[in-house]
Amino acid sequence: MSDHFWRQALAVARRDLDRERHSGEVAWVTIPFGAIALLLVPLAVGINQDVLERIGTGMLFVVVMLFGVLTAVRRTNIETPAQRDAIALLGVDPVAEFTGKSMATAVLLLVFEVVMGAVAVALYGLDLSGWGWMVLVMPLTAIGLAELGTLSGAIAASVQAGPALVPLLVTPLAVPLLLGATQTVESIGGDGGNLSWLILMVIVVLVLAIVGVITARPLQETR
Amino acid sequence: MTSRRRPSWLDIAAVVAVVGALVFAMTSPRVEAQGDSARMLFIHVPTIWLAYLAFAVTFIASIAYLVTKKLNWDLIAGSSAEIGVVFTTVAIIGGMIWGKATWNVYWTWDARLTLTAIMLFVYIGYLALRRAIPDPEARARRSSVLGILGLVQLIPVHFSVTWWRTLHQTNTFRPRDIQMDGPILAALLISVAAFTVVYVALLRHRYELAQLDLAAHEAAAATEGPVAGDAVSAPSIGSSGA
Amino acid sequence: MTAPHPHVDFSGVAVRIGLATILRDVDLAVAPGESVGLFGSNGAGKTTLLRVIATLLRPSGGRAYVLGTDLDSQDRFDIRPRLGLIGHLPALYPELSLLGNLEFSARIAGVPIPAARKALETVGLGLAADRRAGEASHGMQRRVEFAREIMLEPDLLLLDEPHSALDPSAIELVEHIVAGVLERSGAVVLVSHDVARVAPMVTRTAELAGGTVNE
Repeated sequence: MSDHFWRQALAVARRDLDRERHSGEVAWVTIPFGAIALLLVPLAVGINQDVLERIGTGMLFVVVMLFGVLTAVRRTNIETPAQRDAIALLGVDPVAEFTGKSMATAVLLLVFEVVMGAVAVALYGLDLSGWGWMVLVMPLTAIGLAELGTLSGAIAASVQAGPALVPLLVTPLAVPLLLGATQTVESIGGDGGNLSWLILMVIVVLVLAIVGVITARPLQETR
Repeated sequence: MTSRRRPSWLDIAAVVAVVGALVFAMTSPRVEAQGDSARMLFIHVPTIWLAYLAFAVTFIASIAYLVTKKLNWDLIAGSSAEIGVVFTTVAIIGGMIWGKATWNVYWTWDARLTLTAIMLFVYIGYLALRRAIPDPEARARRSSVLGILGLVQLIPVHFSVTWWRTLHQTNTFRPRDIQMDGPILAALLISVAAFTVVYVALLRHRYELAQLDLAAHEAAAATEGPVAGDAVSAPSIGSSGA
Repeated sequence: MTAPHPHVDFSGVAVRIGLATILRDVDLAVAPGESVGLFGSNGAGKTTLLRVIATLLRPSGGRAYVLGTDLDSQDRFDIRPRLGLIGHLPALYPELSLLGNLEFSARIAGVPIPAARKALETVGLGLAADRRAGEASHGMQRRVEFAREIMLEPDLLLLDEPHSALDPSAIELVEHIVAGVLERSGAVVLVSHDVARVAPMVTRTAELAGGTVNE
C-alpha cells in the first residue's frame, strides 16, 4: 500500500476520532446506555447469582453487538451529502476511506467493549477463567463489527430510509462474530475449541475486509 | 399487444412436475416412527433447496452485474431473491408445523432452522434496500454489493451456527434422522427436481415483469416531459414585476 | 494537438433523476482563462449542472468532458483533485475547529499541513482558527471553504451562490480567488441568480432556463 493510501486512511480515522472526542457521543451516550442495558438484565431475569454468572458473558456480547450496530449507524448518519461531496472532490481513495472509517469505529467499539466488560464483571460477578481470550476476542469483534457497519453504511448512504435499514443489514450478518466471541470465551472443555472459534472470527474479519475493498469504488459512485 | 399470455411449456412442465412429485410423495411408503406427517419431508427439503438455489443465483447475478454493469443481471438478482424469500418463509413455516406435529414444539434451536431464519432476515434486508432506492442504476449498484456480502457472510454464519449446535447438542428428537429407503429417496429427488422446474418458471416470469418495469421506467424517463424547473414560476403577488 | 482543450465541454447533456427531467440538451464550453456566470431562477437546475461538472452526478445523456476527461469513463475519478466546488450548504465538520477542517482537507489532498493555517490567515480567520466550525457563523464557514480552495489551487473552480452570507470584504475575497484561478489559466463556473453582483468577476454569462443553457 502506498504512502498516500495510508496518509488518507489515517486522516479519515483521525477525523472520525476527533469528531467523537468533541461530541462525546460514544463516551457520554452509548457507554452509559449500554451500562443501563446490562443493569436491566438482572431486573428481568432475576438476581440469582448462578444464572447471572452463566448468562453474563453472553449478555455482554449481545449488548456489544446491538450497541455496536447503533454506533455504526450513527457514524454513517453524521456525514451530510455536502461533506460526502467535499471529501470525494479532495480525491480520496474509496478504499482508504473505508479503511479509515473502519479503523476509527473499531477503536470506539473496542473502548466500548472494555468498559462494558468491566461493568459486566462488576455487576454479574463473572468467572474470569476464560477471559484471557478477550485480548484477542474483543479487538476481533470490534474490527468485524466496524467493517460491517462501514460497509452497510456505504450501501445505505444517501438512501432516504438508510438509517432505518442499517441495523437490519448488519445484525444478521454479525452472528458469527457474536457466536465466535461468546464461544471462544466460554468454550467447553478448552480442547482447542476456542482456537477454531477464533480462526472463524479472523476469517470473518478478513472476508469483510476483502468485500469492503472490492466494493469501495462502486459504492462511492452515488449515481 | 396480447391481452392475455398463454402459459409457456415451462409453466406447463412446472405444474406437471409438481403434480407428479406429489403423487410420488403421497404414495411412498409410510415412515413407521412418524406417520404421515413425515411426508412434510417432500415439501420441506425442496423448499429449503430452492431458497439456497435462489440466493446463490442472486449472488452470481450480483457479481455479473458489477462486472458487466448490465442492468438485466440486477433484475435477475432481485427477482431470484424475491423467490428465495418466499420459499425461505414457506420452509420455516412448514418446518414449524412439522416440528409441532412430531415433537410438539414449533421451534427448536436446531442449527439448520436457526440458520434459515438468519438467512431470511439477510434477504428481507436485501429486498428492503431495493425498495428504498428508486433509481435503477443506483439500486443495482448498492444491492449487488449486498447480494455478494449476504452470501459470502452466510458461509461463516453457517459454520458458526453448526458448531454452536454441536457444542450444545441436546437429546431432542431430530426429524432428519429418518431412514431413507430407496422409494422415499427417489420420491424426494423427484420432488426436488420438480420444485427446481417451478423455480425456473417463476424466475422467468418475475424477470420478465422486472424487465417490463424497467422498460416502463425508461420510457417514462425518455419522454420529453416538462423540465422540473418549469414547475416554478414567478410569485403572483400583484406587482407588475421587474 | 496542443490547442487548448476547453475545461468544460458539454454537448447535448441531459440529466434525469428518477422520472424527473432536470436538464436537457445542455451545450456549454468553458475555455481556460474564462469565468462563466450561470443564471437562472429557483429550481432551474443550476446546482444540478454544477454537480455534473464536478463529476458528482453522472449525466444520463449527451457528451460531457471536463478537463479533457469523458465523464462517462472511470477516469473521471482521477480529475477530482483538480476540481474545486463550493456548494451552497457548508461541508465543514461541525465538531472540528476551522483549522482542523482545513488540515483534514490538506491531509487527504496531500498538501503540506502548514498551508492550512496560511490559507486561513489569507481569508482573515487567523484569530478564529481554533473555533469549532459548528459554532462559527455561516459566513465564517464559507470563508473557510474559500480558504480550502486557495490552499488546493484547483484548475476548475465551481461556485454555487458565492455571495450568500458574505459581507463586502468577503465578496472582494471571492473576486480575488476567481482572479487567481484565471491567472493560473484555470476556469471558473459560478452560479447565481444575482446578475449584478456577479458581473464584475465573470467574462461571460449564460442563462439556464427550461432545463437548458441559453447563451
